[in-house]
Amino acid sequence: MGATKGEHERLFDGSFIDGLPSLAAAAHELKSPLSLVRQLSLVLEDENISIEEQKRILRQISLTSERALRLTSDLTKSVRLADSLFALEPINPKQLCEDVVSEMTPLFSANDCKLKLASRKMPALLVANRDLLRRIIINFSDNALHYTEDTNIVEIKIGMLDAGSTIRLGVRDYGPAMPIDVFKKLQDRLSTAPMPIHARPQSSGLGLYISSQFADIMNGKIGMTRHRDGATFYVDLQASRQLSLL
Amino acid sequence: MNDASVLIIEDDKWLAENYVRVLTKAGYKTTIALHAISAIQLIDKDLPDAIILDILLTGSTAFALLHELQSYGDTGDIPVILCTSLASDLSLSKLSDYGVKRILDKTTMIPSDLLTSLKAVL
Repeated sequence: MGATKGEHERLFDGSFIDGLPSLAAAAHELKSPLSLVRQLSLVLEDENISIEEQKRILRQISLTSERALRLTSDLTKSVRLADSLFALEPINPKQLCEDVVSEMTPLFSANDCKLKLASRKMPALLVANRDLLRRIIINFSDNALHYTEDTNIVEIKIGMLDAGSTIRLGVRDYGPAMPIDVFKKLQDRLSTAPMPIHARPQSSGLGLYISSQFADIMNGKIGMTRHRDGATFYVDLQASRQLSLL
Repeated sequence: MNDASVLIIEDDKWLAENYVRVLTKAGYKTTIALHAISAIQLIDKDLPDAIILDILLTGSTAFALLHELQSYGDTGDIPVILCTSLASDLSLSKLSDYGVKRILDKTTMIPSDLLTSLKAVL
């Protein structure tokens, strides 16, 4: 179910120009956060809003702006991938995920949600570029925040595959639970016809496209697993042969 | 003051809260549904006087929901106001058969546009 090299374009529903997402597609993706910032700002002009409410709205404006800026930064990085060198190094995935949890906690808290790392034991090191991997996990977490509903919890999970040669970092969201009969039918279809990962209905898939590109540069791949009550978006990367000293 | 009930179907929680803030102040009773499934459940429980609907929703698009609403006599009569960033791609004349009475552009609307539209359709 993962995206392989050269398949990034299939993750993205928008248009391309010279093999890159068009300006129109990027602009469309930025419309939502910018519209929200504008709407919230207009409400602040109302003189009858309490101080507490003003603080809450200002916080939402700040966090929404940060989300928009993350997207522009990822887009810029994505466009320049071909011209840049990205050093791959042994990385402790647990430490990186803890950093992401720490970075994303203000956004999750403001949405009454919690992002947590669910890792039972110290995993092996993996080979990646720290910045690109961080961006992928943040992207998945941001996406999961949008879909988590019932439990208000998003989990980052670290696991090993292929006898420890591959490390999987997954971000699990918990959406509305699908009825068991519907889920079984879906599973049956998936088992007979491999389904490529794709964006959820309201997204152009630009975030997935960018994440897939970033994973590719690190010789990894992204994928998605459906659950009855949500989904896990993951990135698989090579384990490092260097022993963890941490 | 107005005591009509409005169902807000919008998957961005903060934007939905913002609509609630504006409508509640004007006296409307509001309920939020973050996705189409939840919206159907809420509509089955209590028919709203009007619906404010985003186009791109979690799990399905608003068009699937509009089809569902039009399938029943009681829900088919509920006026729908679309609030979307895709407004420039939509035509009110083509959507009026689906109960859509107004289309608001999220990128240019001001809070009072919601109130003006609701007053016009109720």
